[in-house]
Amino acid sequence: MVARIKKLRTGLLALCCLVSLGLGGELALAESAAPSYNYSYWGNAVAAPSAYEATTLITGASSGAGPFNNPQDIQVTADQQIYVLDSGNNRFVILDQDYKSVKTVDAFQFKGKAEKFNNPQGIYVTQQKEVYVADTGNKRIVHLDSSFKAVGIIEAPKSELLQANFEFQPVRVAVDKADRIYVMSAGVFDGFMEFGADGVFKSFIGANRVHVDAVEYFWKSISTKAQREQMVMYTPTEFTNLDINDEGFLYATNGDDYGDPIKKLNAQGADILRREGYYKPSGDLLYSTRSGGAPRLVDIDVSDSEIYAVLDASRGRVFTYNGDGYLLYIFGGIGNRLGEFNTPVAIEHSGDDILVLDQVLGEITVFQTTEYGRTLNSAVRSYYNGDEAMASREFSKVVNLNANMEYAYAGIGKAYLRQGEYKESAEYFERSMDRTNYSKAFLLYRKEVLRGHFSTIMTALIALVVLWQGLRMYRKMKARKKVELH
Amino acid sequence: MNREALQHPLYVMVHPFNGYWDLKYERSQKTSLIISFGILFMLILTNVLGDQYSGFLVNMNNPRYLNSLLEAVYVLVPVLFWCVANWSLTTLMDGEGKFVEIFITTCFALLPIVLINFPWIWISNLISAQESSFYYFFKNFAFLWSGLLMYVGIMTVHQFSPSKTIGTILLTLLAMAFMAFLTLLFFSLVQQMIAFVSTIYQEIVLRR
Repeated sequence: MVARIKKLRTGLLALCCLVSLGLGGELALAESAAPSYNYSYWGNAVAAPSAYEATTLITGASSGAGPFNNPQDIQVTADQQIYVLDSGNNRFVILDQDYKSVKTVDAFQFKGKAEKFNNPQGIYVTQQKEVYVADTGNKRIVHLDSSFKAVGIIEAPKSELLQANFEFQPVRVAVDKADRIYVMSAGVFDGFMEFGADGVFKSFIGANRVHVDAVEYFWKSISTKAQREQMVMYTPTEFTNLDINDEGFLYATNGDDYGDPIKKLNAQGADILRREGYYKPSGDLLYSTRSGGAPRLVDIDVSDSEIYAVLDASRGRVFTYNGDGYLLYIFGGIGNRLGEFNTPVAIEHSGDDILVLDQVLGEITVFQTTEYGRTLNSAVRSYYNGDEAMASREFSKVVNLNANMEYAYAGIGKAYLRQGEYKESAEYFERSMDRTNYSKAFLLYRKEVLRGHFSTIMTALIALVVLWQGLRMYRKMKARKKVELH
Repeated sequence: MNREALQHPLYVMVHPFNGYWDLKYERSQKTSLIISFGILFMLILTNVLGDQYSGFLVNMNNPRYLNSLLEAVYVLVPVLFWCVANWSLTTLMDGEGKFVEIFITTCFALLPIVLINFPWIWISNLISAQESSFYYFFKNFAFLWSGLLMYVGIMTVHQFSPSKTIGTILLTLLAMAFMAFLTLLFFSLVQQMIAFVSTIYQEIVLRR
């Protein structure tokens, strides 16, 4: 009896398996992958060595400035001073290279009056160490000079571009070399607000595009004006953060599900981010609703050589891309261990280190490169600076450490191409799935082979033609003979 | 099977009207049927070879997920669906073709796809990205040629007028979609039933 039931059970099981075959496939998710991973050309999560490891945890107490309360933003200067905007305490704290507090600023002098911050959300420090604070609670931008005296204050602007009921709530701020001020304001859908060096509002730049699906468009097109007014208004997505690079280009993140969540804006507000990688830069490709759903990019940080890192708040991960849009490495996560966060809000680089600010825990996690990360960074930098020989050497080291790093093979291929080793070059481009460059290398290789064997090929061709003609003539002669015989 | 019978598919390719007429009224059906299966087999084979050995520039398949059995299914199921749908329709629409004839006609019409695509598996390894437009041109050309053969074939086999043939082909495509829907529905229902039975079985077993 038992045996029969067992048999029946296996039979049923086999049947179920057969039926469900092909239904549950392709559920390989990023979270089940190795702790550190990267996305392959095919969009799978593949294991990768970790490029960054958390080494230090900075808290307000450990820095000597007293506990942070709900910090919102950090900024690192070129000489590696860290400005922490401690919003809950209405102050910002400056830390030195050893992560010790050197100064705390919670008030400033303006026109002879002592003023205070009220729930500031964004901070930016220029190269001359002038500080811009988005003083959200007071609805203004505060501009302090390097000795923390107020130079200017930007209040709610007046302009025909703005609606009558416009409320100025600056939350993030960035300043370029010409002292133009870019402000991200809450509830503004038209892009960033651009102010001149004198604090006068100029215009909006870089609005996100509205996504309208076809069904919605159809209903809107057949409904009356009164009906349309009752419908949901479609507004462009708001930006979530911004950063500015040395050349004055704005890098911005937004919560756009359909368009591009990462943008690089030029002075006209056009998106000029290069997306030459295997897929568009957008954080995680594979995710489940259980692990937080679609990536929610909350901050972006541009370092040298056009390398930029974005912070995904839904899974606490940092994604780093190079200027061409290839994903270099991923690290971080949500959790309780060192190197994991609760509510990450801001990311900054300090030299080669990466700092991530956690809002709820009031901590800054410092990540330092591993050998793999250092090699990869240096390879990308050498390539960016045009030193292809050096880049090739470094990329070779990278593939020795991580054979899954498809992008690195292209770097080696490019060096071979330059050296005239077309066959090797094509092979490496094939490994990196770089079809455009493969085609270039292959054409050169084909030309080389055809040149090298030109005499052989031509001889063979002519011999074939002669042989064929001869055969035809022979057959004709034979046929004629037959006719004559009959 | 003689040499002439083997050459007949090639004759059909370039002289579809005469060729299909001969196929319907002159040729041995058994021989044609064997040739038809041969063409189908070659089509499956070239598809498999193409996915595996096409040049890197035109081959967008992930080699990890190539499945030769599925490749066969992708050829056989559409052909079968097409034949069944066409036969079911044309019996109602006074078509003269039998199921075997429809099947043979369909298979013969697929020959250009085999003959044109086969050499391109290897030639595609010798072309650059700019030249890949030739590859795609010949692929499309093969499809168009096959389509034309299919059209003439259906017209001949059922003795339809040209306009009626077009109507029949459109209806056949509709019927194919309907069949696909029914098949999916059927499988999904069977799956539900099996899941239901297995749940009940588990309940009983675990309750002991």
